[in-house]
Amino acid sequence: MTRSPSRTTAAVTLAAALALSACSTKAGGSGSSGSDAAGVKSGIGVTDAEITLGVMTDKTGVFKNLGLGITQGNELWAKDFNAEGGVCGRKVKLETVDHGYKADTAKTLYPQIEPKVLGFVQLLGSPVVAALKQNVLSDKVVVTPASWSSELLDNPYVMIVGTTYDVEMIDGLSYLQEQGMVADGDKVGHIYIDGEYGKNGLRGSKHYAEQHKLEVKEVKVTSTDTDLTNIVTGLKGEGVKAILLTTSPTQTGSVAAANKALGLNVPLMGNNPVFDPALLSSPAAAALDKLYLVASGVPFSADIPKAKDVAAKYKAAYKEPANIGVPYGYAVGAVWGSVLKKACENKDLTREGIAKALTETDSASTDNLIADLDFSKPGAPPTRKVYVAQIDAAAEGGLKYVKPLFQAPDADKYQAPHQK
Amino acid sequence: METFLQLVVNGVGKGAVFALLALGFVVIFKATEVVNFAHGSLVLVGGYLVVVTRDSLGWVGAAVVGIVSAGLLALLVERLLLSRSKLADANSLALLTIGLDVIITEEIVRRLGVTVPFLGEAWDAQPIQVGGLTLFRTHLVAIGVGAVLVTAFFLAFRYSNWGVAMRAQAENREAAALMGIRSSRVTATAWLVAGLLAGVAVLFIATQDFSGSGLSRGTHSIALAAFPAAILGGLDSTAGAVVGGLVVGLTEALSAQYISFDFSKSAVFLVMLVVLVVRPSGLFGTRESTRV
Amino acid sequence: METTTPAPVATPPARRSTARPIRAAAWIALVVLLAALPLYIDTAWLKAGQYMMIGAVGAIGLTLLTGQAGQLSLAHAFFLLVGATGYTVLSGPTDDDRVIGLGLDPGLALIGAVVISALVGLAFAPVAGRLRGIYLGVASLSLVFLGLYFGQSLDALTGGTSTGRTPATFELFGFPFSNGGPEIELMGVPIRAAERIWYLFLILTAIAFLLARGAVRGRVGRSWRAVRDNEAAATAMGVGVARAKAGAFAVSSAFAGLAGVMTVLWFDILKPDESEYGTYGINVSIAFLAMVIIGGLGSVPGAVVGALIVHGLPQALTLFSGDLGWFSETGGGGLTPILVSSFIYGAAIVVVVLFEPGGLAAIGRRLTGLFRARPREITREETS
Repeated sequence: MTRSPSRTTAAVTLAAALALSACSTKAGGSGSSGSDAAGVKSGIGVTDAEITLGVMTDKTGVFKNLGLGITQGNELWAKDFNAEGGVCGRKVKLETVDHGYKADTAKTLYPQIEPKVLGFVQLLGSPVVAALKQNVLSDKVVVTPASWSSELLDNPYVMIVGTTYDVEMIDGLSYLQEQGMVADGDKVGHIYIDGEYGKNGLRGSKHYAEQHKLEVKEVKVTSTDTDLTNIVTGLKGEGVKAILLTTSPTQTGSVAAANKALGLNVPLMGNNPVFDPALLSSPAAAALDKLYLVASGVPFSADIPKAKDVAAKYKAAYKEPANIGVPYGYAVGAVWGSVLKKACENKDLTREGIAKALTETDSASTDNLIADLDFSKPGAPPTRKVYVAQIDAAAEGGLKYVKPLFQAPDADKYQAPHQK
Repeated sequence: METFLQLVVNGVGKGAVFALLALGFVVIFKATEVVNFAHGSLVLVGGYLVVVTRDSLGWVGAAVVGIVSAGLLALLVERLLLSRSKLADANSLALLTIGLDVIITEEIVRRLGVTVPFLGEAWDAQPIQVGGLTLFRTHLVAIGVGAVLVTAFFLAFRYSNWGVAMRAQAENREAAALMGIRSSRVTATAWLVAGLLAGVAVLFIATQDFSGSGLSRGTHSIALAAFPAAILGGLDSTAGAVVGGLVVGLTEALSAQYISFDFSKSAVFLVMLVVLVVRPSGLFGTRESTRV
Repeated sequence: METTTPAPVATPPARRSTARPIRAAAWIALVVLLAALPLYIDTAWLKAGQYMMIGAVGAIGLTLLTGQAGQLSLAHAFFLLVGATGYTVLSGPTDDDRVIGLGLDPGLALIGAVVISALVGLAFAPVAGRLRGIYLGVASLSLVFLGLYFGQSLDALTGGTSTGRTPATFELFGFPFSNGGPEIELMGVPIRAAERIWYLFLILTAIAFLLARGAVRGRVGRSWRAVRDNEAAATAMGVGVARAKAGAFAVSSAFAGLAGVMTVLWFDILKPDESEYGTYGINVSIAFLAMVIIGGLGSVPGAVVGALIVHGLPQALTLFSGDLGWFSETGGGGLTPILVSSFIYGAAIVVVVLFEPGGLAAIGRRLTGLFRARPREITREETS
């Protein structure tokens, strides 16, 4: 190659170059934005008849249960929403892709799906959300991550549907204190998965601990650790009065089993994702009676009219066992419905229009699937209300409420990391 | 002090299972100098067959099916793949097992789908309280079974024809062949035994007491944690496997408490690294002489 | 690693005078093709292609270490993390009170990150030098676990697992590899972030490729192979064994470090892993090993092709399945593009070791030999 190319070389090169550069299919204008007859501005992902919303989910990786539940919830909502007439004379269509909880796959799939959609009703997986952060910012596209970390709220295009993990922890701790399970000055353990989820939960418990002079024994775990017996052994030695969990369901099972086996027997209190009904059929089932769960969304079997309605429709449409993802996915859809309607009133169905409509949405109702949501304060969690539930094997979905939606005074005063 | 003792109890209980896993690496390495990276997938296959047959056969029947199938799979791998690649040396064959491991693991995880089944146990899972200490029954059973198997293996290795043949082969393959030792039979038996050991180990791994999780990709990772156990003990030493297993179990438990839990996984590998720097063939391993 | 490829019989170079220009023309055609691709293919495919180039750079480094110098390493993912962190810290803004940044020019930061990776590799070399074969393989795995630990605990450098940190946009002489800066159009196609990064990666990959080939064909490569084949003999021939081994480790780490820099630029984020499986986890180390085995241990072009398979297949299948509706099953036991690619690359390893220890490189040589229908010299350095 270092020698001067012969005539053949030159000819081949020239031919190749000519053939390749003759015409490029990629050239030419992109995007067709304009206004329809009713004067509604539209852009990417919107035609005269349809609004396409994206779903980037995990149907095959480690969170496929949750991903499938949320996606089916999204689909049920779209069906209902279209049956009621849609918005601005347009029906909603979902475009779904599966990234298998792999950030690299998501990064490649995103440019394929992005030009087709107005926004994303679902973006599952914290590594995925992190990897796509810059894309979301530069494409100005509103997304709903299936994550409840208040750290994400520095991005104005992120719509979190529910209470954030830090606020859940504060509400939960005040419940434990109100019930007399924890007192000012006590020592508590907090086991958390290192990452967006766990760190955000820890932020909440540390805040509460400062207010109430609690001593928090922090223990960091990775999502793949499953046997936490050694941790509980250590916490027992420390004499903790309660263990806080921002963990995976498997880890919750291990902590609960060790809590009982080692004779520690303290209350366990965890964020929404720490429990999965599958735990009830695991050997740890008998040890779950000490577990309290703090969540802003209702479980699948909740005794609330809308939840029952969604559950009935779900059973008619799908055969997989349901999880909390279904009502949540439906609730996300309902919030998107409110935002779309607001944007339609503003006669602006472009991405900018959606972002603006989101900030104008100050009381999105999901018929109590989740507390009413206020997106008008940038950086602040849209709600600070939670339910407290306890494990009840007899109930469908495995949960019974011990306290209806409430908001602790400490949660009210709490300053979220990106709150203005 | 109570915390320390409890951690030692936890560590020894887990160490027994790590020792069983490490022994699986050692058996194959002794016979063939191949490191079997597919050991974790043998563990998964054994566990999966227990899950599938448990309802119809009961726990004991299913456990037997699981153990035997893991053994047979290992035997098949050796007969169908490894024994036919005369061209490749031990290191290349180790790489081959990586490929195999990827395939088998992905397939079992696919078959498990969304479930993470616990294998259950034939003994009462209630822990035993002794003073302030808690003894987990699964650990006790594992220690018992481990002790029996290790002793049996040790005796077989010392006194049986197979053991003698294997030692001869490990010493000098060509001379052993000249003495009429059928190398292929020794090798095949080693793989079979390693597979059986993997099948036994999984019965303890996929329980609440041991891993806190049912059969899943995590079960496979635990077999990977036994790698440092086998290496630091010395890949060709039975005693090394036992000591290595205990060292790993105890390092994990104690570093989790006295350094930090998230450091405990690295701690195991660090201990291994230190051992290797001092003794490049592990604590009890035979030093490789340089060929000229 | 000692793969016992039967040493090919070297025949005198037959009529090289005509073979050369054809080869050169083929290379030039390939370069023109790669340079023209951004004008035709969509961003999604460009992203996939860039990901393959990351794999190629990393795999070239590993094939030098494992194939040429005979040191089995499962630490490659760790050096990716070192390079990724190095670039982000060196080029990061100095006024962020959450994370450390040195505010260097991104071009310098890239070089700095590669140098740092090489030095870290060199620091591990004394340990590596004492160990052999599988012992080294498992020992090197400990670096991946240490990387996981430090990635999580040194959040002032890595940004922590919670949020990670954004790397500086790559710039060369003030020209940004992003959507910003001057608007450029080539034959009607706007050259924006995806296209610019494509060209950047293409150049980096070409440099990596040429450097590696140079090393393999030169004195360094000969000393590596001598050490791999027989340390005692190598010593007798005057090769410093410890030095050669350490050198190979440093060089391989430098390549991995470059691949790490490319990784953060590709993801637009540096985010340490939450578990031992992730962007810098054991799965990645194993994937790189798979690339070099499939490609043929020691072969530089083989490593590139191995990367196309291991990094390219999941991406390509995912994109195709999006367009064609493949693998649309959900629930329990569905086949997925990622699963199918795992099967393929697992099987490829098995088949290569069983039937063609020289890997795709050997097959490729045989094919070109066939094509020319005359015996051709097989360069010694590529095979063994």
